[in-house]
Amino acid sequence: MGSCDPIFLSCFLIVALPLLSFAVIMIFTWRRHKLSLSISLTCSTIPLILAWSLFYKLHNAVTLAKPIITQVNWLVSDAVIVPFGFLLDPVSLLMLCIVATIAWLIQIYSIGYMEGDPGFARFYADLSLFGMSMLSLVSASGMLQLFISWELVGLASYLLIGFWYEKFSASEAGKKAFVVTRFGDIGFFMGLVFLTFFMKDLNIPGLGIFDINGAALTHKLSEAQVTLCALLIFCGVAGKSAQFPIHVWLPDAMEGPTPVSALLHSATMVAAGIYLITRLFPLFAASATAMSVVLVISTITLLLSSTIGMVAKDIKQVWAYSTVSQLGFMAMGLSAAALGGSTLFAGYYHLTTHAAFKALLFLCAGVFIHHFGTNDFFVMSKDGGRKLMIPMVTVTIGALALAGIFPFAGFFSKEAIMAQLWHLPNKLWVGLGLFGAFLTAYYTFRVIFVMLFPRKDDNPVWKEYYVREPGGHGHGAHDDDHDGHNGNHGVPWVMAFPLIVLAAFACVLGFMQTGLEKFLLGESHPHEMNYLLLVLAVGSALSGIGLAWLDWGSPAAKWQGFIRKVPVLENFFIQKWYMDHFWRWFLNTVIYGTFSRIFTYNDRRVVDGGVDAVAFSTIGSGRLLSFLQTAFVQLNLLFMVLVLAGVGLYLLMGR
Amino acid sequence: MLVFNHLETYLYLALVLFAIGLYGVLARRSLIAILISVELILNAASINFMAFNRFLAPHPAVGQVITLFIMAVAAAEAAIALSIIVAVYRKLKSINIEHATELRG
Repeated sequence: MGSCDPIFLSCFLIVALPLLSFAVIMIFTWRRHKLSLSISLTCSTIPLILAWSLFYKLHNAVTLAKPIITQVNWLVSDAVIVPFGFLLDPVSLLMLCIVATIAWLIQIYSIGYMEGDPGFARFYADLSLFGMSMLSLVSASGMLQLFISWELVGLASYLLIGFWYEKFSASEAGKKAFVVTRFGDIGFFMGLVFLTFFMKDLNIPGLGIFDINGAALTHKLSEAQVTLCALLIFCGVAGKSAQFPIHVWLPDAMEGPTPVSALLHSATMVAAGIYLITRLFPLFAASATAMSVVLVISTITLLLSSTIGMVAKDIKQVWAYSTVSQLGFMAMGLSAAALGGSTLFAGYYHLTTHAAFKALLFLCAGVFIHHFGTNDFFVMSKDGGRKLMIPMVTVTIGALALAGIFPFAGFFSKEAIMAQLWHLPNKLWVGLGLFGAFLTAYYTFRVIFVMLFPRKDDNPVWKEYYVREPGGHGHGAHDDDHDGHNGNHGVPWVMAFPLIVLAAFACVLGFMQTGLEKFLLGESHPHEMNYLLLVLAVGSALSGIGLAWLDWGSPAAKWQGFIRKVPVLENFFIQKWYMDHFWRWFLNTVIYGTFSRIFTYNDRRVVDGGVDAVAFSTIGSGRLLSFLQTAFVQLNLLFMVLVLAGVGLYLLMGR
Repeated sequence: MLVFNHLETYLYLALVLFAIGLYGVLARRSLIAILISVELILNAASINFMAFNRFLAPHPAVGQVITLFIMAVAAAEAAIALSIIVAVYRKLKSINIEHATELRG
């Protein structure tokens, strides 16, 4: 593989340029905001162009079975080979384009959002690092490279979530994200170790990735081995993609600047987990047990986060929980496909569409937050949120896509996942999926209706809902200087432009289903339309919207969620299913109370005790032996002579 | 004289010298006396070497060379020992070995 190979060169530039930008900004130009901005934008525009040109050039040439691999073997030890390099196949190509595009749009958007922030240059450096690690993760040809990028993604998200580190809650949230995802990464790493142990190869094609039915795996590994590895790797996926027990970091990650949330929730951090499942799809598919576990966990995730989303008052929290639920939805689609012997298309397709409309939703939320200096969408509503035309229209488009309404992107991808769930013998799953879609539509349109139809200023509901926190939640520093620069429709064009592009994506991606399927799988399966399912899915989404209209939208609505009728449940949801309490309890009793105590005891008694024993015995024996030092030289000499004489006598007589 | 032609004569002489020296080293308390006794022991060893050389060695020079070495070493040893004794005296105002008790355990 010569360095002149254009494909290798473009892959290398895609990954290396953002890294270069990070380094240059951090070392040289961090004082000069404009210069840093132009460096960072250049280093994200070129990868964008390169990624799309690679896509254009290769979209007919590569298939899942025949990827283009350019790699070097970094470490060869007996049968174990650890390669570093680039792997291009439909899955990674498409993801490269998504990541490059969204990262670029968010860099554009941040020009407006982060304007005047003292950490402007640092923000762009971190964004570059984030982009670099995700691009490298996507194009990794070896599992070790993937894991390193995976950890880099975690590092970058830590830096960005805790970007306003002077704020205690932000630095805490960054730490939480880092530690919680690391908790899952332990499992991922152990899974990799076991895989290496069983397979003696850390090459992704070596894992039988391109053998869709997993035959290559099963003849090398036993069922139990595959299950073990798949479940351990899923631990890492659960951490990154915020699946049920360790999803708690994601809502807290809202402490970061809103563009970061958009990036985190669409194309990078959380997408990495789902991407890993699609990357290793044959491995996962080879173990029905593992996939059943994934199915159960993702279903719990879907329901948990949708119900919490129903009661949140912070617009970013609502979108965050909707991300968690949509990730659960993707994992459901992938596991159902694996169990039903189908393909990875449905889940991956939802990942694609979700990247577009969730980035859109967050960026819209960012515009509102930037404008009103609060995260509470009730406050935005009262302060006239609907007067911001562009974000209001685009947020509605995003919400329609999220709820799964024809003809927006979410409709098609959700339909594809529903079809996978429908094929499972147990109809419970499709029922729960439909229920999740219903809840999604409900909480999404709760936000939209509240923002679109604010009550009159003297309406008593404001007593409950209009609570302005001093300083606002995210962006307090910006409160005062707003009115100056929002003359043109209230939104600077650098912030409006990404919204429009993403809204366009959310509108058209749905109609690319056949094309994407053909590109990803090499062939498009003819769709037999399942009208019953179609009616059910659209019906659940529409009934969710309808209920939201009754509760929040219509002029007669009392602005009380239907869940208010069951206070126990409402409280349960407001307390986020007590998951944070659970982890607090878990930390206090299991980690601190049990493990820490045992280890402390071990440290105090066994380790310290052992060292002390050695020291004391040395001192003691020294003291004992010091009695021999009588300070009476001639006595010592006498003993010496006697012993020598004894030895001499023995030598002379003894023989 | 007949006795001087026997190896044993010299060995007995050396033994007596050695015993006197050993007694002096072990029993005397004055550092000077101990030093003199050490010299006696060294001389006893020298006599042994000379005697064995005279009666048993195939080559006549071997024992004499070693005796010459012992004399040189003894001279050096006497110089060093005397300087040590002076140092001890400066510190303790005494050359009695029983007063040197600083290293008692």
